[in-house]
Amino acid sequence: MLKSFFTDGTLMKKTLKVSQFYSQQKERFQLSLYTQERTLESLIVNHEVSRPGLILCGFTKKFAYDRTLIFGETEIVYLENLPQKELSTYIETMCSFDIPCIVVSKGLKPPKRMVEVANRRRIPVLGTTLGTQEFSRKLTGFLEQYFAPHTFVHGSLADVYGVGVMYLGASGIGKSECVLDLVERGHRLVCDDVVHITRVGENTLVGMADEKFGNHMEIRGLGIIDIFRLFGIRAVRSRKRIEVVVELVHWEENVAFDRTGLADRTTEILGAELPLVQVPLVPGKNITVISEVIAMNYLLKLKGYHSAKEFNRRLLEEMGQGSYIDELSE
Amino acid sequence: MSAELKIQNKLGLHARPAAMLVQATNKFKSEILIKKNDMEVNAKSILGIMMLAAEHGSSLVLTVSGEDAEQALNAVTELFERKFDEAEEEENG
Repeated sequence: MLKSFFTDGTLMKKTLKVSQFYSQQKERFQLSLYTQERTLESLIVNHEVSRPGLILCGFTKKFAYDRTLIFGETEIVYLENLPQKELSTYIETMCSFDIPCIVVSKGLKPPKRMVEVANRRRIPVLGTTLGTQEFSRKLTGFLEQYFAPHTFVHGSLADVYGVGVMYLGASGIGKSECVLDLVERGHRLVCDDVVHITRVGENTLVGMADEKFGNHMEIRGLGIIDIFRLFGIRAVRSRKRIEVVVELVHWEENVAFDRTGLADRTTEILGAELPLVQVPLVPGKNITVISEVIAMNYLLKLKGYHSAKEFNRRLLEEMGQGSYIDELSE
Repeated sequence: MSAELKIQNKLGLHARPAAMLVQATNKFKSEILIKKNDMEVNAKSILGIMMLAAEHGSSLVLTVSGEDAEQALNAVTELFERKFDEAEEEENG
């Protein structure tokens, strides 16, 4: 049922041209270029970053060449102390592979021979004044985010008591109105209508608002309103981890809704599993308070207290069936 | 069902044509999605449509699924071809 709210397939950037990386991140990473500009046409194809390792001794087996290679002080000193013949051989061997990019850290200079061969093999050699560890960390973080799977979802994302709650449901069902009500009560809007979701890490999803239009909402009858201008900085957020998915559905007679709260349903987005709550809409029902309670209940569960399970446990105790408690505690 | 549509009106998919598009899509039961490059949005949401920032000449991909998919596809295609009645807009300026 939820499939219809998600776009078809996951989006993933496949490549990053070094020229784009260099021009956009030059300042942030304090980059300089040692090889010719045409080497910048090279493509980075994944988020992997590593030191060159044993390839510098000519050991080619298991050389993971599709990674961005960082040369630190150890590597540069090693190369500088090699006799010319060995240096040439090892550099040629290394550059015979399709390396996307080499970066020399700590403001050190790569050996001339390496720049020569890299130019010939069209491998870009960049430099950074940042320390090796720092650069490696920052670059990995940047590349992981760049290559992270992402998608767009038709829904609304709000920060309710610090919990990222994403509302899904058919057009016009009341997602925006619900979020507007939450904003009025002091919670924060991340985005309405279009949620840009990125998967960072194994099971973590982050929802982001559109940079230019993210503060707006559409309210039927009212049109488009600017939440930031109306309610102020405390009412908006540019990004939030998505922690609970709330699906608003029209109440239907024969649809079985979770009556006890023990089901702990989940849904999958971009391969990550999220708790799912289905809320039936009935005229007169206050969705806002229900939303707040969903967030609060989630926080309680994080603390280790599961209301429905606790209720059932006490019930079983009351009935003298204490021995069955462990069995049923899933 | 899907179709590729081109924005022919000069001002692109701004508020007025977006509103026309949304009025049209909401008449149908089918799920209607519109995509520009990487970004795909629900065509029944005006905010989504406008966030595409589809300018004159840009190419959009329309994907429709549901019982009245064909009618929906035709209705939207017609709007694009009529350039969202931009000529009238200019006259009334």
